[in-house]
Amino acid sequence: MLLHILNRSPLDSRVPEQALISMGPDDRLLLIEDGVQGALPALAVHFDGLEGRLFALREDLASRGLLSRCDKRVRLVDVADFVTLTEEAERTVSWY
Amino acid sequence: MRYAILLLGAPYSHQAAHSALRFTRALVERGHEVAGVFFYHDGVQNAARLAAPPQDEPHLVDGWTALHAEHGVPLQVCIAAALRRGLLDEREASRHGKSGHSVAPPFELTGLGQLVDLGLRCDRLVAFGP
Amino acid sequence: MSEQDMPGGELLVILRHAPHGSSWLREGLDAALVAAAFERRVSLLFMGEGVTALLDGQQAGALEQKGTAPTLAMLEMYDIDALLVEDEAMRRLGLGEDDLMLPVRRVGGEAIPGLLAAHQLVLNF
Repeated sequence: MLLHILNRSPLDSRVPEQALISMGPDDRLLLIEDGVQGALPALAVHFDGLEGRLFALREDLASRGLLSRCDKRVRLVDVADFVTLTEEAERTVSWY
Repeated sequence: MRYAILLLGAPYSHQAAHSALRFTRALVERGHEVAGVFFYHDGVQNAARLAAPPQDEPHLVDGWTALHAEHGVPLQVCIAAALRRGLLDEREASRHGKSGHSVAPPFELTGLGQLVDLGLRCDRLVAFGP
Repeated sequence: MSEQDMPGGELLVILRHAPHGSSWLREGLDAALVAAAFERRVSLLFMGEGVTALLDGQQAGALEQKGTAPTLAMLEMYDIDALLVEDEAMRRLGLGEDDLMLPVRRVGGEAIPGLLAAHQLVLNF
């Protein structure tokens, strides 16, 4: 299981698509920086099929005013959980 | 576990530099070994000795320097990417006949082979891009 | 490409940017070449607009910027044998293998996760 880390929004970039086609069936996706826009319900549809494997960094949501606007399917993590996610994955692959 | 960090984004232009510093601190707090932070692409700008951000903003160069001082984290800067962008330590400045230098310890200019070595030697490499 | 002949190795470098417009492609290739020079097993995956790095007929830029085509032309010397291109990107750009300067292996989207899993280190450029 790999952890994919994505910092681009599906609204303005094809990078999320590149991350998605590169993900195996058990891989996890963590949204950080501008990538957390993908946690908005209107954009979370881009990540259909990732239920339980889609995470977003709480502090990047909070700093952008997005914390209370997240899709229910997105699991919120803090930076310590980010460390845990990297421990649990065999490796990480970042997409930017 | 043994971690390596790869930073590809310039400071203050992209959040990547903040994210990398924040994550690296969290690794150290968890008790992990950080075998190196490698600065490549525009990430080499993080080694700019003369960076002078306003006092009410985080000072990233000082942040990395403190991580090195407190936890011995090596700060390795790709020499080829750095020289092209005007980032020279004292030795390179003198070699190229320049009157000042823009990189100072604990940042060290090193070859790209270090990145490959770090990536393959560590249990995890986490990259932060612009 | 079937699962069986999927190339594995120590380093997978993913190249996603076109030549000349930014330094991503050159700096990604540099990482791959250095790893190969240290006798690491390296695969290159050209994804998205990165496939345009392989177009034949490239030239130096107007200010004599070298570009990356000369480096790619030397790849054989570095013993990088896995040159993979994303099928979907070729289709989107309307390009065929005749347009490319080197022989490549085309990879369908379904093979990409396995490719990432088969390498010890994946670097994105």
